[in-house]
Amino acid sequence: MNTKNIELIASPRAPHFVGDGFRVHNFIPSGFRMDMERMSPFIFLDYNSKFNFPPSDKPKGVGVHPHRGFETVTIAYKGKVAHHDSSGGGGIIGEGDVQWMTAASGVLHKEYHEEEFSRKGGDFQMVQLWVNLPAKDKMSKPKYQAISKDRMGTYQLPNDGGTIEVIAGDFKDVIGPASTFTPLHMSNAILNKGAKAEFSFPAEYNTGALVIEGSIKVNDLEVANTDHFVLFENAGETFSIEALENAVVLIISGEPIKEPIAAQGPFVMNTKQEILEAINDFNMGKFGYLED
Amino acid sequence: MFQNFTQYLIEKFHVKEPDVALIPELVQEKYISSGTFLLKPGEICQHTFFVEKGLFRLYSLSENGKEHILQFASENWLLSDRDSVFFKEPSKFYIEAIEDSILIPMDEEIFRKIAELSPNFSKNNEILLHNHIRHLNQRINLLLSASAKKRYMEFIKLYPDLQLRIPQWMVASYLGITPESLSRVRRDLASNT
Repeated sequence: MNTKNIELIASPRAPHFVGDGFRVHNFIPSGFRMDMERMSPFIFLDYNSKFNFPPSDKPKGVGVHPHRGFETVTIAYKGKVAHHDSSGGGGIIGEGDVQWMTAASGVLHKEYHEEEFSRKGGDFQMVQLWVNLPAKDKMSKPKYQAISKDRMGTYQLPNDGGTIEVIAGDFKDVIGPASTFTPLHMSNAILNKGAKAEFSFPAEYNTGALVIEGSIKVNDLEVANTDHFVLFENAGETFSIEALENAVVLIISGEPIKEPIAAQGPFVMNTKQEILEAINDFNMGKFGYLED
Repeated sequence: MFQNFTQYLIEKFHVKEPDVALIPELVQEKYISSGTFLLKPGEICQHTFFVEKGLFRLYSLSENGKEHILQFASENWLLSDRDSVFFKEPSKFYIEAIEDSILIPMDEEIFRKIAELSPNFSKNNEILLHNHIRHLNQRINLLLSASAKKRYMEFIKLYPDLQLRIPQWMVASYLGITPESLSRVRRDLASNT
């Protein structure tokens, strides 16, 4: 096993608002050297760093919009999100929960701060990742996986070092609850100060770590602070993270999907023609209907 | 810089290649945040705006506060309250940015300078003006006579990917129908195609 070295540590870009409820830093695909091809199957990562929303009677959020061709994964660290979609589905993503939505052939959905959270206001911290689908699954039926915190695979680190919460794929012998279309691993490393965890993924898997809380030392070498994204090289397999203070780190690693990518707004397909079809289908009401 | 604007001048006003280099001396880009107003009722519109990047809407508010959208303008569109600019009369309209945008404000002086670079500026400008009048006539006719479905079909023909960038209520406002009617139209379309 060789060490997977750091390729770069990305600082959070200037934040922008998605709708009026999500104040996000984009890392994928607009971050330096982190375009869709480089990061596949992770084609998009918006990070709402911890932000205090004042109380609001009208829940803030983002209105009805479509998706086709990929999955959206929403990870709630602070605050709560309510969501609804055109197939009648909906729910609440609470702190520590993950919602894994396979948009595939297409859904309309909307996401808002959950009502009670909105009324009280408070810290809000979320990640939204888009996971690409291979061509053969892009037009499959949409589905949801609502994964509550208590369903995560958990690996206890020795000496009260903390917990690795596995969302998808595995960590050592612990398997995450999310089912995926291509091989990938996703987990939250919740580390107590001084604890160290070692991860191992195939060399060619695109791999990164987002520091949600605290600060970490990677491979005993470089420090990554809160809200920074560590991108690893596509060489070597193992890397370590050590918590310099209590830390939470999102770890993602996936086998690249080596297919052409055509993307426009909320549609990610393989060809420009498929994008035009997606726009036409959406205009012609084929994604269903959802009230604002 | 000015990529769309330059292309626009080459295509619509036949500005020649060597003169393109002069464009940055003639005009300035303006960065506008989403939610910014370029015009409000009572003001005299001073500019015609070329949208280099982003999205705007021109609308009025009725007495009960209901918004009526006359026009959207995204990349490569010209946007203005032409009456107010030409007759120097107070506007009745709002122009508001829907997205963070880049635009190029043009006044008489800039048009005069562009005219110097364009061999048939008056003729080309006239074509654009008549195009605008044709568009307005079609829109009035649709609002007076066409079904909601027909209006919607014309809307997606004119602005094929706009619905990816605006909320549904703005579509309904532009079409002069309720959100519920818009929902019915989409449902009918989906079940009939």
